[in-house]
Amino acid sequence: MKIALFIPCLVNQMMPEVGIATLELLEKLGHQVILPKGQTCCGQPMTNSGCFNEARATTLKLLNSFKGVECDAIVCPAASCLVAAKENFHEFDDSDEAQAVIRKLYELTEFLHDVAPIASFNKAINSKVSLQMSCHGIRMLSLATPSESMDTPFNKVEAVLSGIEGLNIVYPQKRDECCGFGGTFALDEGAISGKMGKDKAHAHADTGAEFIVGFDPSCLLHIDGTVRRQQLPIATRHIAQIINMAL
Amino acid sequence: MSSKHTILAALKQSAVVTAPKPLINIEPISVSGLNESNELSLVEQFATNLSTVAGKLITQGGKSALAEHIQSLIEQDKSVLSFVAGVTGNRQSPDRAHEMHDVDFTVLEGQVAVAENGAIWVTLPEQHRVTPFICENLIITIKRDTIVANMHQAMKAIDFNACEFGVFIAGPSKTADIEQALVVGAHGACSLDVYLI
Amino acid sequence: MTQTQTKTHAYKADIFCQDESRVDWHSKALWTLREKRDRAAKQLPEWEQLRTLGSQIKLHTLSNLGQYLETFEANCLANGIQVHWAKDATEHNQIAYDILSRHKVKKLVKSKSMLTEECHMNPYLEQRGIEVIDTDLGERIIQLAKQPPSHIVVPAIHMKKEEVGELFHEKINTQAGASDPTYLTRAARAHLREQFLSADAAMTGVNMAVADQGAVIVCTNEGNADMGANLPGVQIHSMGIDKLVPDMDSAAVILRTLARNATGQPITTYSSIYKAPKSGGEMHVIIVDNGRSDMLQDNILAESLKCIRCGGCLNTCPVYRRSGGFSYNYTIPGPIGIAVGASDDDSNSIPWACTLCGSCSYVCPTKVPLDKIIARHRRLKAEQGQLPYGKRHYMPLVGKLMANETALNCSMSIARTSLKILPHSLLKPFAGAWGKYRELPAGADSSFEAWFKRNREQK
Repeated sequence: MKIALFIPCLVNQMMPEVGIATLELLEKLGHQVILPKGQTCCGQPMTNSGCFNEARATTLKLLNSFKGVECDAIVCPAASCLVAAKENFHEFDDSDEAQAVIRKLYELTEFLHDVAPIASFNKAINSKVSLQMSCHGIRMLSLATPSESMDTPFNKVEAVLSGIEGLNIVYPQKRDECCGFGGTFALDEGAISGKMGKDKAHAHADTGAEFIVGFDPSCLLHIDGTVRRQQLPIATRHIAQIINMAL
Repeated sequence: MSSKHTILAALKQSAVVTAPKPLINIEPISVSGLNESNELSLVEQFATNLSTVAGKLITQGGKSALAEHIQSLIEQDKSVLSFVAGVTGNRQSPDRAHEMHDVDFTVLEGQVAVAENGAIWVTLPEQHRVTPFICENLIITIKRDTIVANMHQAMKAIDFNACEFGVFIAGPSKTADIEQALVVGAHGACSLDVYLI
Repeated sequence: MTQTQTKTHAYKADIFCQDESRVDWHSKALWTLREKRDRAAKQLPEWEQLRTLGSQIKLHTLSNLGQYLETFEANCLANGIQVHWAKDATEHNQIAYDILSRHKVKKLVKSKSMLTEECHMNPYLEQRGIEVIDTDLGERIIQLAKQPPSHIVVPAIHMKKEEVGELFHEKINTQAGASDPTYLTRAARAHLREQFLSADAAMTGVNMAVADQGAVIVCTNEGNADMGANLPGVQIHSMGIDKLVPDMDSAAVILRTLARNATGQPITTYSSIYKAPKSGGEMHVIIVDNGRSDMLQDNILAESLKCIRCGGCLNTCPVYRRSGGFSYNYTIPGPIGIAVGASDDDSNSIPWACTLCGSCSYVCPTKVPLDKIIARHRRLKAEQGQLPYGKRHYMPLVGKLMANETALNCSMSIARTSLKILPHSLLKPFAGAWGKYRELPAGADSSFEAWFKRNREQK
């Protein structure tokens, strides 16, 4: 398939390794990958704060970078950015052209589960990983049934990773409680965000896992900061990095 | 304009999209292994759920076991108020409800019992409404064939048009307001025994 | 620090967080309720169906609310119940006082009602010489401690048993140092028995008002509402207009989820249906708007009126559990408190006391879309120019920066270099709240875009 990468600003500027892993793994799977120019931010920091006027320019800039781009899917390695992009595109531009872009948007895990599943992995990873089931991915993108729901359980994240030989998947206590990042929440509500992040870091470390693996870079950045502050013997990895290692 | 009209006028500006009334059609939970006799399974379910709400079901002996129990309570100098025919207490219902404050045991008939939660529907057409609440301990009798599976069935089994007051009672009164520690016996009855008659 | 700043959720939460062991204790107590809820919900194969039905029933009722209120009133009147309408809190309190003063009531026993809290009725009546006794154990504890409720179902959840013991020793003569919950509860039972037996009138909240019956349903575990309402001659039930349900079949759906979602019980101990005054007595129902009809005019905010006040959203909320009920600048805390109280929040901060994680919306037994409502409040505050935490000033700048690739790339490149070459101890003061609670991220060598250019486009 021909895939256009949607690389959110946080990944582009602060976590390029996540973008690289995403690109490499998609290429290893035989896809043709392009990076449309002009992407900055999905507008989430502004719209999450209620500031829609301030989000318009950057949202439309991102949308325009995908309009008319020839591809089968637009893939993003960040669940909350993807959710925000979908909602904000819809908010600011309801044209058919915008709809065409929205219909092609996929979060990476979602893409690898629903659209182009991985036939087989090549390398074993003998490691214990604690999955970070970030809120927007599970509750807004339905990557897994949230713990509150009594519906028939499913878990696309685990399903995608379960093909990797040697990988031991575990979950922290309160498995899908929010890590406390929440965008500007981390700055506005420093004490609560810090405490939530600390609790989450400990919950992951208590599993005895080597890595905390998640699909949302912003949560991982926050958890990484609290893990290092608490000096816990665990490190964060994006799901793309794990999959890329196994291919 | 009266406040009623002010409120009703404001409601005309409502932005809520007209939504149809849903059809409430929920089948009772089937309890595996107990399906041969539906009656038995309902009793079992009721007993289990009654015990989770801190009540106790007495299935053996029926009304005579109850009458015997009451007799022994009276012999222990307990004050007992009974509204169940064939079970005699040693207190009468007073004119003023407040006078029941020192009743040790009250015996009442339950009309409908609900298997899914251990609740019993009690109406008190002839008694003071406070009767099941003010006593120290409560005893309720239920008939086997009045047990229904769930609240939906209970609503269908009860004639609300005929009642002015009624209450679903699920176990003795309780609270967990101090550090989430469950304490049985808050303001209402401190124990509930249910006799299957 | 200005008065508004000291009212913000962040300010108060910061103070609450200074005692970390207490935060952990508080969070654990509430998470236990969430776990009990999960177990209770799991026992019903039809749980999600009940949530859908609960939502549909409430939406249907709200979309025909005027009609249902009129039907309810007509049926109440036919049953001999006196019905009063109050457009706001002041009118509600006046109506209550008029009824009480007509009967020369000196002592009123009250069961839990968040509506009377919202109306600040207790001080209103007390100023007019009526003794008001809250009879729910948790409510009585906080009344004696002169505090507001910190939770809508377990109002004294913030207090430790030792603190309750000390309070009871001082106020109702329990033994000094005694803190056993059973002992304290029994002491409260004896103390409140005297109040029930000597009260002149009783007031309760309403869990549901049944339109086609002209009846109100009141649910308690302690039996305090029924001990109250069924002894004195006068009983008053205060209800918001949002409490209506069409009929008993609808009520059954909500009775099945209410207690399960609140505490994990299959049903509350007592679910009483009051449909007429007791023999020789008077029964009054006060129907209160107090801003609810305003909420109905916004189709997103309107859904907050589907709430049945189970408290499930508070128990699951990671922010509420770690910040306590008193950090919200509104009577009702937690997600539902933000949903129904944000318009009245003069600190303009409570809509931001939320990570938009969405757990509350999935817990809710009537599917109130709490995260969407909270996001809506943020937008409304922004539109009114009432943003907290300096957002009004920095958000336009962020918006401009994000929309300008050159400026963004340039500033982020400087940030990456700083993170790489400068000692983080030097950067922390500039990194504000981030660096106070977390280590700063390691600076990457370049952006992904630059890497892509080097490794793909130029190859």
